[in-house]
Amino acid sequence: MPDSSASDTSLYEQVLLEARHLGKRVSAPDGDLILLQDIDLRLAAGASLAITGPSGSGKSTLLGLLAGLDTPSSGEVWLGGKPFSALTEDARARRRGELCAFVFQDFHLVGDLSALENVMLPLELQRAPDSAQRARAWLDRVGLGHRTGHFPATLSGGEQQRVALARAFAVAPQLLFADEPTGSLDHANSARVRDLLFELNRETGAALILVTHDAPLAERCERHLCLDEGRIREQSAPVRRSRP
Amino acid sequence: MRTLLRPWRDPSFRLLAAALAIAAFALGAMILLRAELEARFAVRTAEALGGELVLSGTHAPTPEQRTLAARVRQAEVVDFSTVLVRGDDLLLVSARAVDAAYPLAGTLEVAPSRFAPAAARTQGPAPGELWVADQVLDRLGVIPGDTLELGNKTFIIDAVIRQLPDEGAGFYGMSPRVLFHRDDLAATGVLAPGTHVDYRLLMSHAIGVDLDSIAAALRPGLRPDQQLEDIADAAVRSLGPLRQLTLWAKLAVLLISLLCGAAIHLATSQRVARRARLAGLLRSFGASRRQVIGRLLGREFAAVLPAVALGSGLGIALVAVLRTLLDWQQRWAGTATDWLALALGPLLLWFGFALPRLASLVRVPALVVLRQGGQPRAAAGGLELAAALTVPVLLAGLLTDSLADLGALLLLVAALGALLPVVLWPALKALDIAGSRLPLAARLALRRLGRRPALTLPLLAALTLAMAVLTLSGLVGTRLLDDWRTKLPARAPNHFVLNLFDADRDAYHAWLDAQHAEGQPLYPTVRGRLTSINDVPMRDAVTKENARSERALNRDLALTETAQLPRSNRVTQGTWPTRGDGVSVERELAENLGLVLGDRLQFVTSRGTLDARVTSLREVDWDSFEPNFFFMFAPGALAGEDITWLTGFWLPPDGPAGRTAALLQELPHITLLDVHALLARAADIARQASRATALLAALLMFAALLVLAAALQGGQVERGRDNALLRTLGGEQKLLRQIAWIEFLTLGGCAALGAVLIALAVLYPLGSRLGIALPLGSPWLLLPPSLAALVAVAGVAASRRALRQPTLTLLRHGSA
Repeated sequence: MPDSSASDTSLYEQVLLEARHLGKRVSAPDGDLILLQDIDLRLAAGASLAITGPSGSGKSTLLGLLAGLDTPSSGEVWLGGKPFSALTEDARARRRGELCAFVFQDFHLVGDLSALENVMLPLELQRAPDSAQRARAWLDRVGLGHRTGHFPATLSGGEQQRVALARAFAVAPQLLFADEPTGSLDHANSARVRDLLFELNRETGAALILVTHDAPLAERCERHLCLDEGRIREQSAPVRRSRP
Repeated sequence: MRTLLRPWRDPSFRLLAAALAIAAFALGAMILLRAELEARFAVRTAEALGGELVLSGTHAPTPEQRTLAARVRQAEVVDFSTVLVRGDDLLLVSARAVDAAYPLAGTLEVAPSRFAPAAARTQGPAPGELWVADQVLDRLGVIPGDTLELGNKTFIIDAVIRQLPDEGAGFYGMSPRVLFHRDDLAATGVLAPGTHVDYRLLMSHAIGVDLDSIAAALRPGLRPDQQLEDIADAAVRSLGPLRQLTLWAKLAVLLISLLCGAAIHLATSQRVARRARLAGLLRSFGASRRQVIGRLLGREFAAVLPAVALGSGLGIALVAVLRTLLDWQQRWAGTATDWLALALGPLLLWFGFALPRLASLVRVPALVVLRQGGQPRAAAGGLELAAALTVPVLLAGLLTDSLADLGALLLLVAALGALLPVVLWPALKALDIAGSRLPLAARLALRRLGRRPALTLPLLAALTLAMAVLTLSGLVGTRLLDDWRTKLPARAPNHFVLNLFDADRDAYHAWLDAQHAEGQPLYPTVRGRLTSINDVPMRDAVTKENARSERALNRDLALTETAQLPRSNRVTQGTWPTRGDGVSVERELAENLGLVLGDRLQFVTSRGTLDARVTSLREVDWDSFEPNFFFMFAPGALAGEDITWLTGFWLPPDGPAGRTAALLQELPHITLLDVHALLARAADIARQASRATALLAALLMFAALLVLAAALQGGQVERGRDNALLRTLGGEQKLLRQIAWIEFLTLGGCAALGAVLIALAVLYPLGSRLGIALPLGSPWLLLPPSLAALVAVAGVAASRRALRQPTLTLLRHGSA
């Protein structure tokens, strides 16, 4: 059994996210279905982790638990050095809004908000000052400064994902969750979004958890976690980074 | 079978099916009830007329006219005033000579003696027999078996008349009634040139002969003194409970159908959204458009048929129960056309409100299977709008023979319902734009409403229509019930008294007190004859002679004065005369005499002439249990005339026999009319009408609730996705609840505003059509704001499901 213990983070690296003996089971007509079992991992601030595995291995379930979008059946998640999974839903949402951001395969932009308003949305939720200026700046950064008033229906898939990236990074997250960010894009757009994602991640210093089938995307992460039937099949060691 | 049951798992389909079932129930019940009521109306009117076709005139029908009438069932009646003699006593009576075929329609009820129970008879008196009203016995002190002289002939009193089928509560035949055989008329010798006589040839249908053809053949040969009346002409002009109910019921059923149509449209939209992927999948498998139509639309249609059948079956069952309760023993009045309409009506709703939407599934491209969340292109807006406007007209055609009854009102409601969202939409957009300065929750809620026209507009239109309909239903229903209650209070007068003199009033009131009877106000009446119009003698002034104008021309009328418009009267032109020489004229008589406002009339009374000027025309409910008059003068106009008093009273039914006889003995010169039977029948009709109104109100409410449910169901998926995204981005439950409250309060508030505007716009034309006053200041107009609050509460409660949706669903929708 691969060592799934969280011992591969040096003491001087700040642990941003930690999962301890995480498990998830659901009721099914013919008995309980175990989606995840005994998941342990640690993620340092600024690190990147790719979660891979065949379909049905539990990747999205694990992402949901780590992001506080779901509650584990066993184990716990700590975020920013504090218990996370044990919080109430509202408290998790609050903490998530303060520290995390998301990029989805289907972009999940709000159809009746313009590009600018979509990027402003999480800023408004956080009651951030100057949300419009910040949003505009991030749209410029992703190359869509000239499309601020356009609605998602008039944007291509690649452009929508870039708006989603702007929305994610505009809140200056400490941790970015990306669920198949290139899954709905063609080859050229995938490459562009891939590059942009890691470029922005490097610039902001956010940690990154990436669920993907995209091998080139996964290879750009420092660590890999491979799931199979709800368990960690393989976990690569982190690339040691010297403390700045 | 499984294929037909599968759609029932979808809540949208269940809602659609419920809407169709309710519409089928309402439409089916109304179509059959309309047929039953129209048949009853026809019977009732035929009874009131004496036949289905009546030829009346001041001279006997010609031999040619008799020959034409001989092809159908017929009876002949001769009415005139004459004097009965018993020794030294004389009594003025209204005599009627009838032949062996009388009565053609309705029931003749007579009793063997003064206080014996009555029994129905199918024929009038035999030659030599005289049937008399109670008052004749009282006035002349005779009993059945005694003889009376009428003209040159002596008759034997054989029976006491309790009810003649063709006599209503009108007050122009005030003398006691006597009936004898036509064969005895010549022997009486009472008819001489110049005698005022009313000849009536009554006709009813016969197998194989169309009465309309008889009428068409008779019309060209009518003399100036003759009039031909059928049941359509003589249909109850006054808006009695049955007629008001029928009109309101038709409109209510149409509105129920429209509401159900709105619910069907909303539910179908949700259904289409869910089936779009399947449609695309079928196309990706190579299915042709025809195959998609067959598989999706065809099965959809087949799956709704059980709901339609259930609703229609319940409608038929309701009518069957009503027929049993009301003891309608004739065979079902519904024609083949009615049964066809019953089957087609609900299907029209499906074709009009569901099919255009479902048709969009045929246009879903195969590409949607490759794209997540693909939606079908919207149905052609023009087709949907055309269907939405056409279906109500077709339904109105099924429910009524004449679109004039309902068409105008319906178009008004539909037009307002369609236009209002167009008017309110800019307001919503303006709120969205102005909302940038509002707090976050309000901003997000208004954006959600203002930027989704495909969701918001149908919802707004449906809610507006539902609220408007409920408000109008409450307004109309309560006014109709009030109207019927005031017309027929629990102690409506069951007797009427005429020819009371001033000196009799104390004795009359004393008798009322002794009998614990409740008296009505006394109307002063003067006998007068109309002699000229605008200084032109009557004979020259009136070119159209018919029964009504004949009565006005050639006989003394009861004239009265009063300061207040009686309840059973409604001024249709001019103003009520409150002083001076003003007179108010009954509308139909005015038409027959060619009278208009400002015309000068002259009457001759026992004291001389009486001049007046027409200041108003009135619609009179002759079926009301109140004294009514053709001419009503301003107070003081009859000062100096020989006045008698007319009034009514309610006598407790369970008292000793002979009470009224005692009154007649004390005041032998008065005329006393007993209207018990008519009152009982009218009260029963009003009771049934009230129950029917309550049923209609309940159906309207169910239909409106369906619309609300469909409206709330619609947009739940989008709302759930929005909420999941907001939660993912850090939004708390409190924020999501605030957004839901603001969204639904705004929606409900706009719908309430629209509903109040629609109700106000429709008030006057609707009230005018139903013959009731619908006040602007009614508390029912507060219903829409209350409903807006209900919409908000219901909307937030329904959204709780979306609020509780796990945010993980968002990830799962997006994951590989």
